[in-house]
Amino acid sequence: MAVIMAFITVSCNQASNKNEQSSNDTTVVSQEHPASHSKKNDTVAVPAVSETPNGQDAAKEEAKNFSIAPIVTDYLSLKNALVSDDDKAAASAGKKLLATLNKVDMKTIPADKHKKYMDIADDAKEHAEHIGENVGNIHHQREHLASLGEDLKDLIDLFGTSQTLYQDHCPMFNDGKGAVWFSANKEIKNPYYGAEMLTCGKVEKTINGK
Amino acid sequence: MSLKKKIILGLAVILIGIQFFQPLRNLSDEMPATHIERVYPVPQNVKAILVQSCYDCHSNNTSYPWYSRIQPGAWYMAEHIKKGKEELNFSEFGEYSARRQRNKFRAMAGQVKDEEMPLSSYTLIHRNAVLSQEDKQVLMEWFSMMEDGIK
Repeated sequence: MAVIMAFITVSCNQASNKNEQSSNDTTVVSQEHPASHSKKNDTVAVPAVSETPNGQDAAKEEAKNFSIAPIVTDYLSLKNALVSDDDKAAASAGKKLLATLNKVDMKTIPADKHKKYMDIADDAKEHAEHIGENVGNIHHQREHLASLGEDLKDLIDLFGTSQTLYQDHCPMFNDGKGAVWFSANKEIKNPYYGAEMLTCGKVEKTINGK
Repeated sequence: MSLKKKIILGLAVILIGIQFFQPLRNLSDEMPATHIERVYPVPQNVKAILVQSCYDCHSNNTSYPWYSRIQPGAWYMAEHIKKGKEELNFSEFGEYSARRQRNKFRAMAGQVKDEEMPLSSYTLIHRNAVLSQEDKQVLMEWFSMMEDGIK
């Protein structure tokens, strides 16, 4: 009796988690995607990766000086995946961005910027997580990219960027309210509509790296 | 007794058995100071739609139908409510940062427009939660106005 009851509980949970599980399965298959995409679309983004090596060494270096470079790198590969209409690559890039945000050591951030950073990061994590969970719903991933763009804009205002970035504007997205995105290249490749309207949008601002 | 009968009897016993395991119910008598209706002026027509179609899963107070006690449906429902409140809780809306509130209003407008919300599994049973074209318009306009109003 207990065994059968346990079985029922399990199958019940499975039913409610079905969507999540199936999306997880599909992302695992395509984990190598984002790297190849970032090479294709944003060649300038690649050097930034070597500037901020992964692992513990990076954490030690950043202990002296917090940098948003790893966040920017993940954002760019996410953005590139959406430029290429690739929902699976976008999902794994979203998960990577979430992991990067979770790894940030608050001790490295100047005390006077703590509150602002937390406010932005909490929001950005939510968007990254949703993008990671939404394989098969690229429109929804793009809605979250629009919010992430604003978070990144505020992060750049707050901390500056080590890499030169172009702040681009798509006038149509979000019911004509417009949406911002960032690119390492001057050339317009719109992530909000992908191939449908690839060159729609304009460079609003060039943010020089320091 | 044939095997078939034993199985049916066994299942019946299980079904009755699990009725005694009820999940905690999402109920609250008071409206906290962080509730959206205490943080922002919510027009009557908007409020009516929110109560009818949203609060069951996105607030601390679910209006349970009589059959909500029947297991295993009650577990399924509890899980949905838990997840729904994690995403958006109107009872705690005032605790969100301005940035998060703005994003939530934008997301709500998008979800309603794309007919992602209310969930079809919810409206299948709660027919009165289905949004009419007019309801959708009212909500989207209000969400959009609220999004623009938050600096």
